[in-house]
Amino acid sequence: MEFLLEVITEEMPSSHVQAGQAQLEEKLAAELRSAHLAVVSLKTFGTCRRLIVVGDFARRQDDKEEAVVGPPKTVGLAPDGSPTAAAKGFARAQNVDVAKLEVIPTPRGEYLGIKKTVTGRPAEEILAGLLPGIISSLTFPKMMRWGEGTFRFSRPIKNVLCLFGGKRVDFSLRGKTSTDFTTGHKLHQPQKIQVKSFREYKTLLKKGQVLIDPAERKELIRKNSEKKLLPLKGKIYPDEELLDKLSYDVECPYIFVGKFPENYLELPLEVLSAALREGQKLFSVVRDGRQLPSFVGVADTSRDPKSLIRRGNERVLRARLEDARFFWEQDLKIPLAKRATRLELIVFQEKLGTYREKTLRLKTLGGYICAKIDEKSLKKDVIQAAELCKVDLLTEMVREFPSLQGKVGGLYARAEGCPVAVAQAIYEHYKPISLEDTSPASLVGAILSLADKLDSVVGVVGIGIQASGSSDPFGIRRNATGICKVILDKKLSLSFSRLLEKALSAYGGALERPAAEILACCLNLFVQRLRHIYETQGHRYDLVNAALGAGIDNIFYSYLRLKALDNLKKSPSFASLILMAKRVNNIIRGVPPCKINPELLAEKEERELFSAFSIIAENVRPLVEAGDFAKAQNMILKMQAPLSSFFDKVLVMTEDKKIRQNRLALLQAISGLLLQVADYSQVVGEGEK
Amino acid sequence: MSFQNLILSLQKYWAGQGCYLAQTYDVEVGAGTMTPDTFFRVLDRRPWRVAYVQPSRRPTDGRYGENPHRVQKHFQYQVIIKPSPEDIQQVYLQSLAALGIKLSEHDLRFDEDDWESPTIGAWGVGWQVILDGLEITQFTYFQQAGGIDLSPVPVEITYGLERLEMFLEGKDNLYDLEWSDDTSYRELRFREEKEFSEYNFSQADIDRLQKSFALAHEEARALVEKNLLLPAYDMCLKCSHLFNLLDSRRAVSVTERVKLIGEIRALVNVIAQKYTAPEVKH
Repeated sequence: MEFLLEVITEEMPSSHVQAGQAQLEEKLAAELRSAHLAVVSLKTFGTCRRLIVVGDFARRQDDKEEAVVGPPKTVGLAPDGSPTAAAKGFARAQNVDVAKLEVIPTPRGEYLGIKKTVTGRPAEEILAGLLPGIISSLTFPKMMRWGEGTFRFSRPIKNVLCLFGGKRVDFSLRGKTSTDFTTGHKLHQPQKIQVKSFREYKTLLKKGQVLIDPAERKELIRKNSEKKLLPLKGKIYPDEELLDKLSYDVECPYIFVGKFPENYLELPLEVLSAALREGQKLFSVVRDGRQLPSFVGVADTSRDPKSLIRRGNERVLRARLEDARFFWEQDLKIPLAKRATRLELIVFQEKLGTYREKTLRLKTLGGYICAKIDEKSLKKDVIQAAELCKVDLLTEMVREFPSLQGKVGGLYARAEGCPVAVAQAIYEHYKPISLEDTSPASLVGAILSLADKLDSVVGVVGIGIQASGSSDPFGIRRNATGICKVILDKKLSLSFSRLLEKALSAYGGALERPAAEILACCLNLFVQRLRHIYETQGHRYDLVNAALGAGIDNIFYSYLRLKALDNLKKSPSFASLILMAKRVNNIIRGVPPCKINPELLAEKEERELFSAFSIIAENVRPLVEAGDFAKAQNMILKMQAPLSSFFDKVLVMTEDKKIRQNRLALLQAISGLLLQVADYSQVVGEGEK
Repeated sequence: MSFQNLILSLQKYWAGQGCYLAQTYDVEVGAGTMTPDTFFRVLDRRPWRVAYVQPSRRPTDGRYGENPHRVQKHFQYQVIIKPSPEDIQQVYLQSLAALGIKLSEHDLRFDEDDWESPTIGAWGVGWQVILDGLEITQFTYFQQAGGIDLSPVPVEITYGLERLEMFLEGKDNLYDLEWSDDTSYRELRFREEKEFSEYNFSQADIDRLQKSFALAHEEARALVEKNLLLPAYDMCLKCSHLFNLLDSRRAVSVTERVKLIGEIRALVNVIAQKYTAPEVKH
């Protein structure tokens, strides 16, 4: 039978609507499951003013058999099996014939009792009992109180409609009683609309200028903007984030196309689209990749017959573009290098000092990275870019459009005639802002991005701030992911632990936590991020663990290790390699480090194993150093035969302590050699899955 | 509709909603929220309805009269109602209708914009109200002021009068607005903007500003000790404005900024606590 719930609120942010929809669906399904009310279907919708659930549930709970337990069997039945007074009394109280009593086994022993079929409670009753709790338990990124209340929600609740089988489900939510009506669009159809079914609800709301389905609104925005741009032969410049937001912010999307004076096209595209997007939430329009002096707006209405909305937006936009031009011209009057002296006026983080200090650290770190990846020729550009990359935080443009940070600095650097590589590096040094984003295209940009993010992570971790659960203070995780991504994308091979130490020492003792603790914490963070990245790429979790188990001193190598494992996993020798590693590890588990004394190698098999190991180890070392883990792996496989004979013929745990320790030492050395390629013991064998 | 008629209409409308019409406060503030008619009255449990015009000074926004939108002093129309009424959104929409705006012909949006003022330890949840792309009002449910959780919750509606008037007159430049039938905004305000911009950015004497800040701060502390909370709060407002002037002279370093704002907030929080403490008589 059909269920419909609609919670009307004042305007919620789009992230809240999405969170509300997801939680409503999840919580309602879970609660109904535990209440044994069958759910045929359950779906949610939402607008900035509504959280909506529609479903098909059973009319009532399933009937169930319930035992009513009376006296213990020994009390209820006389030795001859006839019912005692206790049994008769129980039967009377239960209103059944005493002959109907049965023996019911319980954990405490056998009892007399009856079995009853309990009719399931009607769905209305269950729903009325559950809904107030479910709705008030919803959580949002930021909650508020209103009026007299202590109740917290996303925004004030205006109405709660709830129907089951066309009839109102009565309950009270914090003093608000449920209704069987909704209201239409806030401006156009604010009056009550009585409804009996979801179909009617949807139809009447459509008439009331509300489309309840976010996907439908999104599609409408997409389709209508395409249609309205046909005469211009233009297209919307894609902006999924804006499209997503708008498809929630309006209940009734109306698309309009406006213009702005052509002379503003002199402004860089980035600035133009920020002026359009931020504030008025307008889309840029392009034709053949070139910006047109037009925009697409989405209004919350169904018409604009007098073009008041379009003209109003055009007027506001002109003012904004005029501002943007003013900022552009003003900012260019002071060269970046001159402005840089004022970096000491802005705080990077209260305990981590100013951006002037950060800039100095970036120069050191940038120079260091250049040296370590054998790109010394880039050092000059990297250092100049580091010097200037944060200066745009002091410009009027970034103050007005914070999302342009970096980009604007790059544009100003280019306009000033800085070397192209420097301008580009500044422009892209915040990239990648997520795993989906791309890394900086230039190597100078990548080095600067790496230095900047690493400095932030080490500093923030160094003052004891940590990401936990869903919170990511100061973008610790985001930055760590960005660092890994840049290293992997650019195939940068350098010692990560030394890089961390360098970043740490650049702070010169300004960090509260002990250095060893910061390094350990950072390494742990990066192992987690790499695991996340590799698993997102679709790699097997156990292979990821095996690759990361060999350490992340070289992040790029962790990827090469993973690839080597991945390539080998289908070959027949893989299983024997894993088995070999596990066998070795099992024997040496918990054994303190021992030293090999070749003199003590008595048996033929152990001498052969030792000599094979020595040759293989000699060959593996340069391969590991060069990151050729596939070849290293093949080399290691050659140890399989001598190792097998060793295990077959030689007793490791022999009585003689010296000989035993010597054999263990040999196995420890082999284990150490394997670990240079991967921690094979992490691989889950076919039988263990 | 002229600027002054806009004010008259709002006065009439909100008086009709049972608001007491306060007069402009006479200490410089950055926003209507900071005046005692808002700050003190939202702290306690008693119902409160007030509306008033408040000139708001933001020295760094000065543009020597050359920018068509930005001024170092603009006018806000401030409404505070506690507890926030159930139908306040509709009441607000009707205030726009009362100005002759036919809402059905426009695009009016409540766009997420939470508000906060670290200096007076206040924050709230709400929206900027956008009319055909123009921000005309800040609409906020106060959650905290003076570091105290507010209960009941007041709603604050702050109209940006120049913006609203630009919408009503369909003009691009605020100096072209009609203050009255025969007087323009330019005639009344242009010279003030120009001179104050020069003062704010170039001429305000940093040393004397710093001394004034120290004096006002000292006075505030002394007054808090004596439980003269309203005069103490005035001194905090003076500190806040002096801080803003120092800021527009670019004379506040990083550490100082945090420190100075923290100092004012600490005093304001004490004032709020004392004001709401049962033993203090108002």
